[in-house]
Amino acid sequence: MISSSTLLGWSTFIYLGASVLYMMHWIFKLRPMGMIGTWTTALGIGVQTGGLVLRWIESYQMGYGHAPLSNLYESLVFFSWTTAITYLFMEFKTRNKIIGAFAMPFAAASMAYASFNPNVRDAIEPLIPALQSNWLLAHVITCFIGYAAFAVACGLGIMYLLKNIARDSEGRGLFAMLPNLRSLDELMHQTIIFGFLWLSVGIITGAVWANQAWGTYWSWDPKETWSLITWFVYAVALHARLVRGWKGTKIAYISIVGFCSVIFTYFGVNFLLSGLHSYGAQ
Amino acid sequence: MKAQKKSENSILNFLSSVKLAITIFIVLAVTSIIGTLIPQGESLQFYLERYGPNLFNIIKLLHLNDTYHSWWYLSLLGLFSLNLLVCISRRLPYTIELLKRDSLKVEPNKLERMPLKAKWTINSLIDKEREGSIVNALERMAGRVKRKRSISMEGENASSTLYLIEKGKLSYLGLYVLHFSLLIIFIGAIIGNYFGFGGSIMIGEGETADFIYRTGDNHRIPLGFSVRCDDFDIQFYDTGAPKLFKSHVTIIENDKEVMSHEILVNSPLTYKGVRFYQASYQPIPIITLKVTGSNGWEKEFSMPTFKKVPVDKEGFEMGIMRYLPKVHGVPAVRLWIGAADDDIEPQAIWILKGRDSEFTLKDREYRVSLENIENKYLTGLQVKKDPGVPLVYLGCLGLIVGIMVVFWMPHKKIWLLIERKNGVTDVLLAGQTNKNKGGFKKGFEEVRGAIEGVIERRKVS
Repeated sequence: MISSSTLLGWSTFIYLGASVLYMMHWIFKLRPMGMIGTWTTALGIGVQTGGLVLRWIESYQMGYGHAPLSNLYESLVFFSWTTAITYLFMEFKTRNKIIGAFAMPFAAASMAYASFNPNVRDAIEPLIPALQSNWLLAHVITCFIGYAAFAVACGLGIMYLLKNIARDSEGRGLFAMLPNLRSLDELMHQTIIFGFLWLSVGIITGAVWANQAWGTYWSWDPKETWSLITWFVYAVALHARLVRGWKGTKIAYISIVGFCSVIFTYFGVNFLLSGLHSYGAQ
Repeated sequence: MKAQKKSENSILNFLSSVKLAITIFIVLAVTSIIGTLIPQGESLQFYLERYGPNLFNIIKLLHLNDTYHSWWYLSLLGLFSLNLLVCISRRLPYTIELLKRDSLKVEPNKLERMPLKAKWTINSLIDKEREGSIVNALERMAGRVKRKRSISMEGENASSTLYLIEKGKLSYLGLYVLHFSLLIIFIGAIIGNYFGFGGSIMIGEGETADFIYRTGDNHRIPLGFSVRCDDFDIQFYDTGAPKLFKSHVTIIENDKEVMSHEILVNSPLTYKGVRFYQASYQPIPIITLKVTGSNGWEKEFSMPTFKKVPVDKEGFEMGIMRYLPKVHGVPAVRLWIGAADDDIEPQAIWILKGRDSEFTLKDREYRVSLENIENKYLTGLQVKKDPGVPLVYLGCLGLIVGIMVVFWMPHKKIWLLIERKNGVTDVLLAGQTNKNKGGFKKGFEEVRGAIEGVIERRKVS
């Protein structure tokens, strides 16, 4: 029978393929490539979903029995999965395939990192007592929906800045193909709101879980602190826009800075700092 | 805001500005990084060795060893709360004004100027039934008309009715729910800080504790009841990773057993607002020795390490100074032997399992054998009382609900004005929303289509 790691390995290449197709659609203006890109992404999500489900089943067969959300490898796979789904949903809503050239590389890179970095162990491991809680599911899922949204918002921010550079080239050139500034700005704003809500829920479920496991809902652990820092960055974006009327370029920069903060919360804390979340580095 | 008011109170204006809020966000985000780079809560010696005397002085001055409880960080959080409170309070009257405003009392000519509108003119004075069918079309697409108003008009047979469908007016309050929720979280945290406590206790299997050691200063805090550890259990996976820690405990109050419960990681026990969490454990080897005297006397003793056991009948004491699980493949202990009266030199001997040792004391010879070693456990319980938690959770809930209302719950209004005048009937449809304008426009177009359908059909027949 086919194993989960085979399926997840395939999804890495499928997402890489989808990213390339979306780029060809954008750079060479090949419309059919975009269409194939969409189907490739959908296929990738299907294969990856199969891989995740299979991994879940395998963990039961090994006698551990837990959802595939317990270590760095599994979180990378899940991040890639939510990013692909968030993007595909956005493509369905906006009918714009160029965004795929900026969003799908995040999904592909995350899978590639999970699959090819020798420091990321992909073995199914048993859950240590601290992780044996239903809050694990709620916490990881909500956080990663937020992260995925911020990844897409970062992609949109990059698009906005590129398009802004090309503003003078009047409909010619590579960047002129991108959606207009106003819709990029609005889309970025909506995506940040979506991510902000899920990040908030993610922080709260983490706090409730910590209170359940250790008796403190907040202990200024580096991961907690960095999630709060990320939260502040996006709070700046939302307040600056809603009350001070910031738009476009400024918000695009905040979106990119915010995602850097997400990346640091996710990896940096595990590798560079120590704390309660250190099992995430395994 | 009125200009006059602005000049009146510049401090209040400073505190109520969103500019300040954004500045505080940035300052909090940047300063919060410090505490993740410098290890927190270590001894002062640690910082001196690691960072050298110059940086050490800065760390000490700014309390960077406990950044998030330092005077400047707490002041920042205080300023943040104050800013939040003033900002929101000053906005409230405007929102109340907005809520009081009755959308039904809108001037008809204002409706005509709205970006989303449609107008039809029917060349007759329509009857009640036909008006009803138009209103029905509106209700079919946009929901029930809860309120309407007749507008008095001059002229014969002139009459005018304004219908209103309004949804989500209370969404303006979402902003307050969101921001006050943050304050509620802060209040919950402060309550927890002042009226709660945290500490820990290690209890051996079969032993009872009625106090805990407070975190930080190890001060003894009485619980008012006792906790007995009946049993501790630890299990491992094949990989060697821990699978489960479990303590079976009994709460005893006034010499009565009140409740028995299992405490696992992620599954604490709560009694009278005090929660007990499985936090750690410590194995305690209990060593059984058999001592045989040359006079034929023989007895078994079970003891942990570092505990003096009197051997009354023979007039000496013994205790285990050291336990090694493996020496030449067998367990070994170092036994200390001394007398209660100090007239003899204490002595120490090694005993390996399976190889007896001997010692002489007061002209008597003794033979000691290591009979058995059994692991007993101390369970480490984290103990916490935090009466602020319900408020914190309430605040969290409000925060999420608030975010959803603020960003996704629009205040939508659709007006339908039917005006009979000078032998013709004017039908005016207008709509307004404050969020998701694209989605609302789509819905509005559907309403327009439905009403147009009703009006056109009648025209043909």
